[in-house]
Amino acid sequence: MTRKNVRVKIGEMKTNAGFIKNLELSVGKLVDDSWEEPMGPTPKPGLTTLRNWDLKLLNRYKPFYMPACDLCCLCTFGKCDLTAGKRGACGLTMAAQSSRIVLLACCIGAATHTAHSRHMVHHLIEKYGSRYPLDIGGLNIKVEAPITRLVCGIRPKTLGDLDEVLDYAENQITQALAVVHTGQEGNNLDFESKAFHVGMIDHVGMEVGDIAQVSTLDYPRADPEAPIVEMGIGTVDRSKPVIMAIGHNVVPSVGIIDYMKDNSLDDKLEVVGLCCTAHDITRYWDRGKIIGPISWQLRFIRGGFADVVVLDEQCVRTDASNEAERVKAPVIAASAKNCMGFKDRTNDPADDIVADLVSGKVPGVLILDPDKVGEVAVRVAQKIAPLRKRFNVLPEVNEVVELAKTCRHCNMCQRSCPQDLKVPEAIEAAEEGSLKKLNELYEFCIGCGRCEQICPVNIPIHSLIIKSAEKQLTQEICNCRAGRGAIQDVEIRNVGSPIVLGEIPGILAVVGCSNYPKGGKDVADICREFANRRFIVVTSGCAAMTAGAYKNEEGQTLYDEFSGEFAAGGILNVGSCVANSHIAGAAIKVANIFAKRPLRGNYEEIADYIYNRVGAVGLAWGAYSQKAAAIAAGFWRLGVPVLVGPHGSKYRRMLLGRADKKEDWDVYDARSGDKVNVGPAPEHLFQTVETKEEAMVFIAKLCIRPNDTWKGRSIKLSHYIDLNKRFYGTIPEDLHLFVRTPADIPMTMKDDILKILKGKNWKETIIPDPTLLPRMIRKKRK
Amino acid sequence: MSMFKDIPVEVGVIYEGERIRRKNMHVELGGPSMKEKFELAKVKSLTEIEDGKITIIGSDIKDMVEGKAYPLGILVEVAGATLDQQLEGVIERRIHGYMNYIEGLMHLNQRYDIWIRIGKKAFQKGLNSFQYIGKVLYKLFKSELSIIEKIQITFITDPAKVQGLYPQALQDYETRDARARGLKDEEVDKFYGCMLCQSFAPSHVCVISPQRYSNCGAISWFDGRASASIDPKGPVFAIERGELINAEKGEYVGVNEVVKKKTLGDVDRVWLYTAFDHPHTSCGCFEAVAFYVPEVDGFGLVSRSFKGKAVNGLPFSTLADSTAGGRQIDGFHGISIEYMRSPKFLDADGGWNRVVWLPKEVKERVKDFIPKEVVDKIATEENAQDVDSLKTFLKEKNHPVVAKWKEEIAEVEQETMVESAEQGLPMPVMSASTLPIMAGGFKIILKDAKIYANKVIIKTIKDEKTKK
Repeated sequence: MTRKNVRVKIGEMKTNAGFIKNLELSVGKLVDDSWEEPMGPTPKPGLTTLRNWDLKLLNRYKPFYMPACDLCCLCTFGKCDLTAGKRGACGLTMAAQSSRIVLLACCIGAATHTAHSRHMVHHLIEKYGSRYPLDIGGLNIKVEAPITRLVCGIRPKTLGDLDEVLDYAENQITQALAVVHTGQEGNNLDFESKAFHVGMIDHVGMEVGDIAQVSTLDYPRADPEAPIVEMGIGTVDRSKPVIMAIGHNVVPSVGIIDYMKDNSLDDKLEVVGLCCTAHDITRYWDRGKIIGPISWQLRFIRGGFADVVVLDEQCVRTDASNEAERVKAPVIAASAKNCMGFKDRTNDPADDIVADLVSGKVPGVLILDPDKVGEVAVRVAQKIAPLRKRFNVLPEVNEVVELAKTCRHCNMCQRSCPQDLKVPEAIEAAEEGSLKKLNELYEFCIGCGRCEQICPVNIPIHSLIIKSAEKQLTQEICNCRAGRGAIQDVEIRNVGSPIVLGEIPGILAVVGCSNYPKGGKDVADICREFANRRFIVVTSGCAAMTAGAYKNEEGQTLYDEFSGEFAAGGILNVGSCVANSHIAGAAIKVANIFAKRPLRGNYEEIADYIYNRVGAVGLAWGAYSQKAAAIAAGFWRLGVPVLVGPHGSKYRRMLLGRADKKEDWDVYDARSGDKVNVGPAPEHLFQTVETKEEAMVFIAKLCIRPNDTWKGRSIKLSHYIDLNKRFYGTIPEDLHLFVRTPADIPMTMKDDILKILKGKNWKETIIPDPTLLPRMIRKKRK
Repeated sequence: MSMFKDIPVEVGVIYEGERIRRKNMHVELGGPSMKEKFELAKVKSLTEIEDGKITIIGSDIKDMVEGKAYPLGILVEVAGATLDQQLEGVIERRIHGYMNYIEGLMHLNQRYDIWIRIGKKAFQKGLNSFQYIGKVLYKLFKSELSIIEKIQITFITDPAKVQGLYPQALQDYETRDARARGLKDEEVDKFYGCMLCQSFAPSHVCVISPQRYSNCGAISWFDGRASASIDPKGPVFAIERGELINAEKGEYVGVNEVVKKKTLGDVDRVWLYTAFDHPHTSCGCFEAVAFYVPEVDGFGLVSRSFKGKAVNGLPFSTLADSTAGGRQIDGFHGISIEYMRSPKFLDADGGWNRVVWLPKEVKERVKDFIPKEVVDKIATEENAQDVDSLKTFLKEKNHPVVAKWKEEIAEVEQETMVESAEQGLPMPVMSASTLPIMAGGFKIILKDAKIYANKVIIKTIKDEKTKK
């Protein structure tokens, strides 16, 4: 309950005790410090407060750079060639430049989430008042904002309390962004440390956004049984006008839904979403629909399904308005961060805007008032739907063949395809009249449209692919689970014993965008594999959608098949991008709940706890934006390893441990102060993998932590060995690094493994109470 | 793996959670359609056992008709110099775990309730004989429980034989349970400590005695005994309980020493049967919390699965937070459900006579262990939702705590008043009406006054009196 600028003014007051005239009382800041938990050592850390912790991690997991570009082009000294040890005009090395770009990406990502949250909090305070209480899980949640408590030392109770948190986050992002300027840092590890810092801030920003929207908009509140929601274009009733929202900020969509409800139109139109806005639409309204993840924007717009396209912010195709214009769907840009070049009509009468859009006088407008967006979108959709008649720009089948015949066979389409898809082959088949090969591309295409851009004869290749798969597209019907929000404290307690006893071998967080081939089949397969192995599988964002896009033999999606509980074998969707914060939040709460470690301003101790104990791994299969970089950086600083898919190398660097250097893997045993070698657990902090099989083996391995009980370790090793055997046909070569005592060996493999250990000159060691921080060594009390 | 070279299917812990649906099953053994089925472990003398012998009485798997269910009895007979009957239950429960490691075999439940399915695929791969299952059990028992020197395993599918042995098995379970329930803390030399949770809660250690189950509800004294003898260096270890210092509170010399050592001196005294002064600590995965309700001088119990607010207005999540992390907090006590069934349950504090409230679901589960005189006097969420309605209920039923009330209630009420007055104290900072000064005899006039503060911090002032 921190409040700024409290002013009391009394004109005249008479009481028995006194007489007051023109009293002005002004308090700059009113701080409610009734929170009994004492303040920890690092509330609101600055750029260097946690540098020592970062360096501990970065010295174990040394950055390995894979520059995407040889040059630095950021200032007018340059361009500077940084190859082969050369320094730029400012003196910068390639390593520093690479890490500088990482920091820049993280700043962009953190700024995006934080600005999104700022907009929402500002809007929600206007609507609900700054004293509106935060409630993200009722009685089942005591720690409402674990990241905010941990980083800022603030326990927010009302919407207004979030202001101060955002003030801090914005301040830090500005500070960190300044570091990227020419002639600031020169050492790559300092850049990296700052990237970690901004990643941490990013999680703060995300948490603020999600707890604000969950509290005010009546989303599922930490609900394991959040409703199953429909997904796919096939679930949309196309006899009704369709409004399609794209982006991440649900505020304009709420305006639309509220307008429909207020005017009893809620069953007269369809409101559907693409990307994270879709998640939040379904969290707000049970009739809302997810039609797909980020990468499918072109196919849905060109398919002509939407009568009105509403764009908010983040990950919106910047040509979405041009594409919508082609299918005669009016566009409403609704975010100050994404105006699309349209005229600002916020203050014009709705009647005028509706008339202009319906008549086609303007292709789109900018409206920054969500209520007005609601009214205009609904009225335009109703009027224009009968006129548009689902107009689309997909060629007829005979046109596809004719277009294919214009192909010059230059192969540029394949060369420009990020997936190296065999487009030329498919076009050639189409020339012969067969769309089969085009159709086969559909599942592999990530929808970027680069093939069309490069085509010298302007064949609308992407449209050809969509046409060939029109039937699949229109029949896409699957399920997602509405984003549940946070993890309940009680759920974390429930999994305590099974995690200790190894019955739950780890926690897998499948997050990020779905820009990968096969439309996410890999993601669904990985989720199923680990849920079957009784891991806890957490999903969010577009990855959460693709996880639900495939059905088993019985017609069930993963969300129908597995429970939404934070428990062994659960597959739970926390929600949109900003809900990623709940995943980090759950790890933080483990420390608070089991070890009763104080969270308030106590980052380093908690990160040390999580790093050494909580067997969690993040997986972002489809690399995409700078936000993903920031989210990952936030996990690194907490000590949670992150795997990225085949596109991940474009993040320009990995954080790799050296299993071959035994000396890298010492920890302190907090019980004795002795140094104990715990092996490479976890082996890497950030790593690219090429295939889903490689990913699965690494997920199992990266869940290993120094604190594992022998029972837990033996089960973790069972999964690691089993997956390695299944996909590589061998027992892993590094097994001896993970066996501490004979009891760690999976009981059904004892004979074989003991033999291997003998050959590797293995020695028994102890299971410590692990920490990297000397100050955590416990002093014996007398 | 070479350990199971001669087994036609894979064997590994990853198959543990495997479910076999009816349409994928080759045959069912035991299960709901069979009235008589059992699995039983018996400790015998070394001369009575032929090590490695696997016997099948009745038809083998390959002789069974696909899709049908059959009765089954599994008899695991073991011998070893340090084995005794007390370990039979622990050994028997391993049958479930080990059998589930077999690919394509599902084993559910235990004792007289077993339900096994063999999958079609596993059968096709060659899992067509109990010999294989017996061999897996044999190898795992021998490699995991080194205290077993000899073991022979018998599978009985002959309906008449199963029927014949079934009453004897039931009798054995009953005898074993009676022995376990009757075993008193004073009758054993050793308790067991469990430090498994130290991987997450480094300053907690559980003390497990015959009459006090582990907090998580997963480890009994018998389990502890088995674990400690199998893996003496492991996280479950024997505690020489030593001399009894205080029979009422449950204080033992040996327990204090071990706890002090294992918590590095954070905790140096543990009283096993009370929630006050030196209560047993907890990590975070306890099944329930006992919490003191000062207004009625009794205990409430709330379980992890209870979704609402307990009678004192706090949900489980908040109450649990008061006792986790290996600390000793007066009046907050993490416990298992099984401990509620123990005669030593909160014994020093009055046991069930001091319990005033618990969720209905928990009450149903432990009802048979609550003394008859008091069982109907303990409220559930249906009888009382707050302290006022609880008081009314207890008075109405004349719960044993009511007799102790009269003087104390008055005192408590007085304290409450003091508390509320002091809570109001920090408020004047904001309220101009109380600004004029309390000094007697003077009148203070503030005219055109401006008071600025960069920051005003409001803190709760702790009332020492209410802390007791």
